Amino acid sequence: MSDIIFEVKDVHYSYLGKFPALCGVDMTIRSGEKIAVIGANGTGKSTLLQLLDGLIFPDRGTVTAFGERLLEHSEVYEKAAHRFRQRVGLVFQNADIQLFCPSVREDIAFGPLQFGVAEGEVNRRILEVADVLDIQHLLERVPHQLSIGEKRRVAIASVLAIDPDVYLFDEPTAGLDPLTVRHIIDFIVNANQRGKTIITATHDLHIIGEIADTVYVFGRNKSIVRGGSSESILNDRSLLESNNLIHIHRHHHDGREHVHQHLPLEPHD
Amino acid sequence: MSNPLHKKHDFIERSILSALAFLKDATLSEEYANRKGFLQSLDPRFKTISFLAFLVTAVSLKSAILISPLYVLCLILALLSRIPLRNFLLRTLFFIPLFSLFIVLPTLFSVVTPGEPLWSFHISGINAIITRPGLDGAVLFVLRVATSVSLVVLLSVTTRHSELLKVLRLFGVPQLFVLTVSMCYRYLYLFATMVENIFTAVKSRVGVVSHQRHGQNVVAWNIANTWNRTTQMSEEVYMAMLSRGYTGEPRLLSKFNATPKDWLWLLSAVVICAFLLYKGYSL
Ligand SMILES: Nc1ncnc2c1ncn2[C@@H]1O[C@H](COP(=O)(O)OP(=O)(O)OP(=O)(O)O)[C@@H](O)[C@H]1O
Ligand SMILES: [Mg+2]
Repeated sequence: MSDIIFEVKDVHYSYLGKFPALCGVDMTIRSGEKIAVIGANGTGKSTLLQLLDGLIFPDRGTVTAFGERLLEHSEVYEKAAHRFRQRVGLVFQNADIQLFCPSVREDIAFGPLQFGVAEGEVNRRILEVADVLDIQHLLERVPHQLSIGEKRRVAIASVLAIDPDVYLFDEPTAGLDPLTVRHIIDFIVNANQRGKTIITATHDLHIIGEIADTVYVFGRNKSIVRGGSSESILNDRSLLESNNLIHIHRHHHDGREHVHQHLPLEPHD
Repeated sequence: MSNPLHKKHDFIERSILSALAFLKDATLSEEYANRKGFLQSLDPRFKTISFLAFLVTAVSLKSAILISPLYVLCLILALLSRIPLRNFLLRTLFFIPLFSLFIVLPTLFSVVTPGEPLWSFHISGINAIITRPGLDGAVLFVLRVATSVSLVVLLSVTTRHSELLKVLRLFGVPQLFVLTVSMCYRYLYLFATMVENIFTAVKSRVGVVSHQRHGQNVVAWNIANTWNRTTQMSEEVYMAMLSRGYTGEPRLLSKFNATPKDWLWLLSAVVICAFLLYKGYSL
């Protein structure tokens, strides 16, 4: 089928050959889907996104993108790589790493310029994405001197400027204030409505209902424990509980201490 | 506690922290570059060329009388560019010429520069005489250093470092080199911040760094750790560049906008330099 974007088959990956990060992952992602990958810390979410972005390559198993297998040293890949990178954009978990240019303006321009976009058009895009992400006032600043939330917006802007078909977001809302989280969710939903495929790694259950139709739960065994629609996963309390994804609250009520857990869809009491 | 060792520690610690803060402030903050002043409004290319011309002039002039107008020009430019004069003088007059004074001091005396004695005194049995040519030479030297340093400080303080790097690229420095420099600069900032953080972390873990041995171990471990972190980070940064289409030769924005004002400024700079050099030649 032509609308399949990623096909991941039995992928294994370990860092330096001894720290396993993914052990047997299968998934199929179609054009225009909204996917979330959730799991506790260290379950391999970031690793998966880097595999999908063709930055690292599986030890075993295959990753196929747009009908072609992603391989490190193949001529087909070398030639297709540029095209591939234009179609897939990754927003890294650590914005400090993503931003390496001397100014915000240049960081946003970096991607489009590598793809041969003319400078006039690049300047137009800079203004456009700065407007979308509300960072016009930061354009001349040095990226690494910004706050975490500002950096995150700039990182997203730098990928948005490339205008890829597929967005990979690694923890896009971690450590951000509620309003910024709101902006980023709106951005994701909006991009999806424009036909973009979105894959988000997160452990924030509260945002999943909005940013994903399909959810994959990664477990401690570094593979997919369950995949399914976001409602079915969010309603499976024992699944979420056994995968460290539910908040456990402990507080006092009328002098009695009481412990309870809660699901994202339930109100706090 | 009255333990002298503690006092020393405190002192060293405070000096290191304030030195770091100064480094970050002096080299890494772009506070003045973001102000709206005269030099900030010039095209970085024109600014760099004109300052190079001033610099060459200041270095080749052999008369204090001719260099002093250049120095006065620096002060006027600093004012026009909204750099507080006190801060500017502190940076230039105090910090760097302090070093050159060590070089100049010996040349004052008759042993090094013989000539008409101006003023003599005795230090522990040695008869020291300050000579007229010695003093003139010293004044010239100090003025020349002060002017050169002022020019460099003015240029670097009023230009965003990203723009200075772009100018480098225009002057034929390879892009990869420019990108490397800008990343080093970034690491420098990160490094300074990390060292600060480590200092605070060590302190919070060991209280005051009282147990010297332990403190040293923690610091040594942290330095190794920082190194690992930086190397791993540069690998990850490389991945981030790849992800956005980097193929080995980065393409960067190059637009500068020269206005008639820039040309006018460059013309005036050239005229000033030519005039001073002519005067210096015919003297
Ligand atoms: N550079 C590395 N070197 C060695 N091991 C690593 C490296 N990066 C990740 N790992 C290991 O790989 C596993 C998966 O890491 P990964 O970063 O993909 O997890 P994650 O799900 O993104 O976690 P988090 O929610 O904390 O971001 C972890 O056990 C981790 O220890
Ligand atoms: Mg991660």
